[in-house]
This record gives sequence, C-alpha cells and structure tokens, in this order.
Amino acid sequence: MREVVLNIYRHWDLIRSFARRDIKARYKQTALGIAWSVLQPLSMMVVFTLVFSIFARVPSDGIPYPVFAYSALVFWTFFSNTIGGGTSAMVSNAVLIRKIYFPRETLLIAVMMAGLLDLSVASLLFLGMLAYYKIGLTLTALWVVPLLLLQIALTFGVISLTAAIHVNYRDMGHGLPLVLQLWMFATPVAYPMSVIPAWLRPYYLLNPMAAIIDGYRSAIIVGTTPDLPALGVSVIVTLVVLSLGLTVFKRAAQTFADVI
Amino acid sequence: MSDTAIQLTGVSKRYRLRHGWYVSSIKDEVERLTARLLGRPAPPREEFWALRDITFSLEPGEVLGLIGMNGAGKSTLLKILSKVTVPTTGTFETHGRLGSLIEIGAGFHPDLTGRENIFLNGSIMGMTRHEVQRKFDQIVAFAEVERFIDTPIKFYSSGMQMRLGFAVAAHTDPDVLLVDEILAVGDASFQAKCLNKLAELKSRNKTIILVSHHLANITDHSTKVLWLDRGTVRMVGETDAVVDAYLEHVSRDMKVDDSQHEARDVSGDRPISIADVTLLDGEENPQGRFDRGEKAHIDITYTATHAVPGVVFGVSFHDIHGWEIGGVITDPDSVKVTAAVDRAVLRLTLDPLFFVKGIYMLNVYVVDPATRRYYDLRRRALRLVLDGHRAVSNETTGYVYYPHQWEQLK
Repeated sequence: MREVVLNIYRHWDLIRSFARRDIKARYKQTALGIAWSVLQPLSMMVVFTLVFSIFARVPSDGIPYPVFAYSALVFWTFFSNTIGGGTSAMVSNAVLIRKIYFPRETLLIAVMMAGLLDLSVASLLFLGMLAYYKIGLTLTALWVVPLLLLQIALTFGVISLTAAIHVNYRDMGHGLPLVLQLWMFATPVAYPMSVIPAWLRPYYLLNPMAAIIDGYRSAIIVGTTPDLPALGVSVIVTLVVLSLGLTVFKRAAQTFADVI
Repeated sequence: MSDTAIQLTGVSKRYRLRHGWYVSSIKDEVERLTARLLGRPAPPREEFWALRDITFSLEPGEVLGLIGMNGAGKSTLLKILSKVTVPTTGTFETHGRLGSLIEIGAGFHPDLTGRENIFLNGSIMGMTRHEVQRKFDQIVAFAEVERFIDTPIKFYSSGMQMRLGFAVAAHTDPDVLLVDEILAVGDASFQAKCLNKLAELKSRNKTIILVSHHLANITDHSTKVLWLDRGTVRMVGETDAVVDAYLEHVSRDMKVDDSQHEARDVSGDRPISIADVTLLDGEENPQGRFDRGEKAHIDITYTATHAVPGVVFGVSFHDIHGWEIGGVITDPDSVKVTAAVDRAVLRLTLDPLFFVKGIYMLNVYVVDPATRRYYDLRRRALRLVLDGHRAVSNETTGYVYYPHQWEQLK
C-alpha cells in the first residue's frame, strides 16, 4: 500500500499526462464535447423520474424525485464509468504495455482522474438543481469529501482486480456491463434506503456502494450525518477489496506484457 | 556512481505457449488437476525458454552490441532490460535512468497534437513535466517539426512521427540506453543526427545496448559484443573477435549450395547447366580466403545439350543476410553456344577484391537475355571470406572499400 502511494506521488506527471490524454482524446471530434458528461446522468434522471416516480410511484423520502435521483446518479455515473474505463485500461493501452515500462497502475489512476473531471462538470447541474428546489447546503455537506475518498478507494480496488482479470480473460469486458447494471439496482440510486426490509438490510449493506450513495444523499440533501454503522461496513469491505485488488494487480502486472 | 551500470545474473525467461486468449486452455488445466489428484505426473505445460541463464555486466561508457539470428532472444532480453517483462529466474540491476529507443513513438496518441504528444511521451519515458518544458524547444528542433507542432500527429507523415519519437527519447537523458535498429530510421541527415546523439551519449560515459542486424552498425559503435544463440550466450567479448566468430558460424550454417538447381522447378528443358564453380587465388590455387586488394578468379564449368541463341552468365554478390550488394554479367554475345557442349569453362577475374572485411556469398547463374528466363541458377555457389581492415567510416552500412586516390591540390 505504501508503495502504491509512493508510486502515485513519484509518477504524478505521468498520471496527469495519461488523464489529459484520456480527456482530450475522448472529446476530440465530438460536437457536444464535455457536455456529454452532464448528458449521461441527466438523461438517466429523466428516465428514472418517468419510470420510478411517475409510473411506479417509488417513494423518495419527501425529496423531489429528480434531485433525489440525480444526487445518486451523478456519483454512480462516476463509479460505473471509471470501472468501465479502468477495467479496459490495460487492454486499450496494449501497445504501450507491450513495449514500454511504466508503473501500470498509473493508467488506472488516470482513468479515475479523468472521471473526476466529468463528475465535477456533472455536479454543476446538481448545484443548479439544488438551487432550483431551494435546498440549502449545511455543514454536513462536507461529508462529501470522505465519502468521495471512500468511493475512489473502492473504485481503485475494483478496477485493479477487474483490469488484471481482463488482460487474461476478455470475458470481463462482456460480463461487466451486466454486473454494473445489477449493481446499480442493488444500490439506493432509484429508490431510498428506507424501502429495504429490516431482515435484508445487513446483507444489503455488504454492498459498499449502498452506504456511500445513501451517505451523499443524507449529507447534501437531507442535511444529516450519514448512517455511520452502515458506512463502517462499507469501509471494511472497501479495505478488503482494495488490498485484494492491489495484491492481484501487482502480481499480474509483471506478466501483462507477455499475455496482453 | 556505482562501477557497474548493468548486472545480469542467471537471467532466464520462460514463455508458456498459449491457446487463443488463455494462458492455458481450461481442458489442459482440468487434465493437469485430475492427474495431480490421482497422483499421476501432470502432463507438462507447453512452454519454451526464450532466454537461459544470461549473465553479463556492463560498466558506464560501454557500448554493447547484441547480435544473433532471428529468434535468438534479443528482443526478449531488451524487454527484460527495459522492465517491460520480468525474468522467470535470475536477477538484474540497472543503475540510473533507463532510456529506450526500442519502440519510439509507441506512446503517441494520433488525435493529440505534436506538442501534447511530446509531453505525453516524455512523461511515459520518465521525464517530469518541468523537464519536458525545459527541453521542449530542443526536442522540436531536433525532430524538425516546428511548423506542425500544433497539428494532431495523425496528419504527420510516418517519417515525421519517427523523428518526433526519436527526439523525445533522445532527450530523456538516460544513463542506460537501449537501441534497437533505430539507425534505419529517416533520411541521411537525420541518421547523421542520430549517430551524433549516440556519440554524444557515449562520450558522456553513458551505457548503450545496441541491437542491429547490420553488423556494420555493431562494429562501428560497440566496445563489446554479446552473441545470443537460441537463448544462451554463445560468446561475449571484444567486438571484432565475436563478430568474426558469428560471421564464420552464420556463413557456415548457410552451406554452400551444391545441389539446388532452382531452374529445375522453373523449366523442364535445361539447355545449359552449370556443372561446377570454383574460386581460385591469383596463382590459380583453390582458395576461399582473401585479403582486400588481392586478385580472385571464379571458374564456371558448364555444359549445353544443344545450340542456344542467347546466353548471359552472371555472378551476384550477397551479404550473409542474402541482400544483394552487387554483381557482374557477361556482355551479350561474348559467350556463344552454337552446338552441344560437353564441358566448357568460363573464367571471371576480380582484380582487385575491394570488399570490406566480412563474409560474402556468391550466386552464379546463366539466363536467356531475351526472356530473362534462368537456364540455371546456383544460389550460394561460393563463399568468399575477406580479411584485412574494416572500412573506417561513419556510414552505418557498407560493403565496398573503393579503390581510390587522394590528392592535396592546394
């Protein structure tokens, strides 16, 4: 772990270069450019509002449903996009990996950095919605910082694992979109945590993203401290995933060039 | 500074042969597992050793030439040295920053501009942003791409991309530099630049490992040569000694061809055939080894089954890789075959031999000048070994030491 942090520090310029490349290359020759990073969660919000709120009448704890959904979607989009990009980061840089040495995890961190840019652009709309619905931020909104750090740690752990697997088994690329979709429905994105029956709750919270997404909502919209016991479980699961991911990645990275 | 720049100890690399995308097929793994569970010996995985037990060290300022046939393990060794892959066994250490001119421009992104790519590639090669900024103008000038620096490089010519890639790599200021066949890149003036850069690094006591199929590159630049043969070190040491031994080995492997009459595959009717070819020295004694400047005769013995209207004999000279480097043919009508010939001998005299030191292979053939059809062709009919000095030049390739005079006119 210390080694990873040290490597990030040492190769910060390289990470920045990769992130810059990813962002620039992503929006070159697009007409809408960076606006795409808002469009994705925005369109999901519209669909969710129609389907879950208007058609299915899913409760939203008294919060206007559009902002209720968007508060989760903006962070979930960051999660699912970085996992998609991170998983294929090795394979899409195969030429580089086959030919040049550099710490491979820099590619993963760059994907997360590029994702953070999209997140901040998409957050602008979020702030606009908060103003529109006259939801004032309180000091509890500061919880966003540790929550985001926890989410990033989890993302890093997951993509370390999936990227390493993807190099050896391309099945990962096929299965992942499916898993992410299921994962989203196992997370309180479209519905509030309050609808989960009590008996299911302990198992439900094993999904580390559940407490994180619920936490954002509490901290930003409701103005209360996140559910700390739930978050504690999330931290433990995240640490397990992270250390497993980094261990596997470090081992697998030695032979990426031979296998990729 | 430590006194060794590179130290390899017992480095080996094993590759598992893969089936499709998988490291090993599920079926193989199941078979191995069941065999193990039943206490039987597991069927071995298909594998091969690209390198076996490589040990050598280099001091700062040394230039190591790496030679060997295709598949000898040169690329694998470079991959290990550049840390792209890890050795299966053994250890190695390098001191200082490692630069590589192996895959120049591999990190380029086609949609980014020249400027953006310089920063990207620079940081992939281990430079800090600040460092790239400082050297930016030098890099651009070296690559000669000033006018296009803000154009996406997908619009660059391949030559421009190469130059840019080399320029970035050359400015990483490495302590150990790996170079693979780069001297074949670009036009003459750019090659001169590259050579000067290498010379500069050498004079600054940097360590260089050079891989090239052109032995002239190796002999011109190396202080030491390592000959890899099927993954093992066949010989390592002083440049001339190793290169000579390698040449000797390679040309002996390419046995002089006595039997192969390629024309047989081409045509059924062979009115003229080459029965024998011999190489003689100036005193007409059979000889295969010459000093530069000596005289050589090549006697071609041929037979003809009937009269043939047009006949041209030719001898072509090849380097050990088979590249043709020159040749001579008979004048039209100088050889006439007006009736069946039982045994005739045609002599070619080369005087003086002005090839540079090395080993050359000679093809001997006879063609119909009107249709260009081969009557007979004997590939590698002769092996010609030249001793004496190698040409002293900065040119990277070359086979001929031209007869010449110099005069100081003013």
